Amino acid sequence: MTRGLWDRETVALLLLAAVLPLAVTWLFYAGAAGMTRLVFVLAVAGFWHLVFMLARAQPPSVAGALAALAIAVLAPLDLGPIPLLLGVSFGVVAGELVFGGWGRNVVHPAAVTLAFLGFGFPAAPWPDLPVQLGWSAAAVALLGVALGVMPWRVVACGAAVLFAGRSVLPLETPVLTAAAVALVLLVGDPVTSAATRLGRWLNGLLYGALVLLFALGWQGAAPVQIAVSAAMLATLAAPLLDELAISLWLARRKRLG
Amino acid sequence: MAGRESLWNALTAPLIRQNPVTLQILGICSALAVTTSLATAFTLSVSLTVVVVLSAGLISLIRRHIPNSIRLIVQIIIIASLVIVIDQILQAWFFALSQRLSVFVSLIATNCIVLGRTESFARSNPPLLSMVDALGSGLGYSLVLTVIGACRELFGSGKLAGVAVLPLADEGGWFTPLSLMLLAPSAFFLLGGLIWAIRSLRPEQAEPPEFPPHETGEAR
Repeated sequence: MTRGLWDRETVALLLLAAVLPLAVTWLFYAGAAGMTRLVFVLAVAGFWHLVFMLARAQPPSVAGALAALAIAVLAPLDLGPIPLLLGVSFGVVAGELVFGGWGRNVVHPAAVTLAFLGFGFPAAPWPDLPVQLGWSAAAVALLGVALGVMPWRVVACGAAVLFAGRSVLPLETPVLTAAAVALVLLVGDPVTSAATRLGRWLNGLLYGALVLLFALGWQGAAPVQIAVSAAMLATLAAPLLDELAISLWLARRKRLG
Repeated sequence: MAGRESLWNALTAPLIRQNPVTLQILGICSALAVTTSLATAFTLSVSLTVVVVLSAGLISLIRRHIPNSIRLIVQIIIIASLVIVIDQILQAWFFALSQRLSVFVSLIATNCIVLGRTESFARSNPPLLSMVDALGSGLGYSLVLTVIGACRELFGSGKLAGVAVLPLADEGGWFTPLSLMLLAPSAFFLLGGLIWAIRSLRPEQAEPPEFPPHETGEAR
């Protein structure tokens, strides 16, 4: 899609600008270790973007940095460099680049990486996110929606379900924080979330509902694990929700003639 | 009678060029299920190869006498009998291994490669050529299973055929086993990567795209 100034990289840059509050807050808390981790993930993702540019003439995207930030914030801790290297390579290559780069991928490369690391190294502890990160996620959501690069229906519906759930169910603050961060970093991605209006409402609804379900029924799960699993499943369901919305629309058109 | 060249071709074509798993995508079920270790993958490969070679030979021998309307039933009876024999042999001499393979030896009877070779080739070709062709298919299947089984065992538990190769972190080494490799999805990933690699090296195997991707702005 190119309309004047709006090409893929504009969207990626604006998204990157929108997540800056979260990135700065996280770096403030994670410190030098977080910085090292972010630089490592960025370097690995950048390397694969470069390889695919040279091998397939596939233009690299700034969106690689978005995925790298999401991985650095949400990935399990205490992984050596080799597991992290494997996970990031797998997620970036098999989740995004083989499909033709950012904009053509079905699942979020960061979600694939996190699922890979979560299943591959179940002993590694998931990070604890400080509550301020949740507030910065609210700023990210506002910025992203105001700049028009984040699907507002997904974000609004997801947040609404989470807050509604918190008012009636015993939802703990760490879970809410992790869910908010995953909502803006993984679920609110404009490429892998649903693309139809109804689909987007349903996508946000599904994400919020899954977080609530896992928070209540999944014994012994870490908050980030809950949020990432819900985000992964919601992302996988997005094409189905779009299909549903389109079928409903077609059925209505047929009935109205 | 078939010449030496066509025999050689029937044997080697299914190894990579016409591989039943990576080109025809047959026999995936067992390829996913038994490849958690090299020993089980290798045992199932040998069992399948024996079954497919013997059944191709038997069916080819009686190919002029099989009534066309019940040919599938006859073929399956022959295949299933051979599978039962193999299963009993495994249980008699390799009991622990047969326990680990559980139901998958019996499921050779439903493996697409076996019925595919007997139905499409052995039914209309002389015994020697049929058996060589079946041996080629069995070896092609074995090759893929062995490669995937070796990868999964090496990276999932740091061993190869039960012998420790990579020193584990728990025991003072440096290698952290990748538990994902012991779950079924990893076989999908490895098989997908293998198919990708083979089709990159041999572009004639790649299928034509079903529809052209539409032009995007940045691609110009």
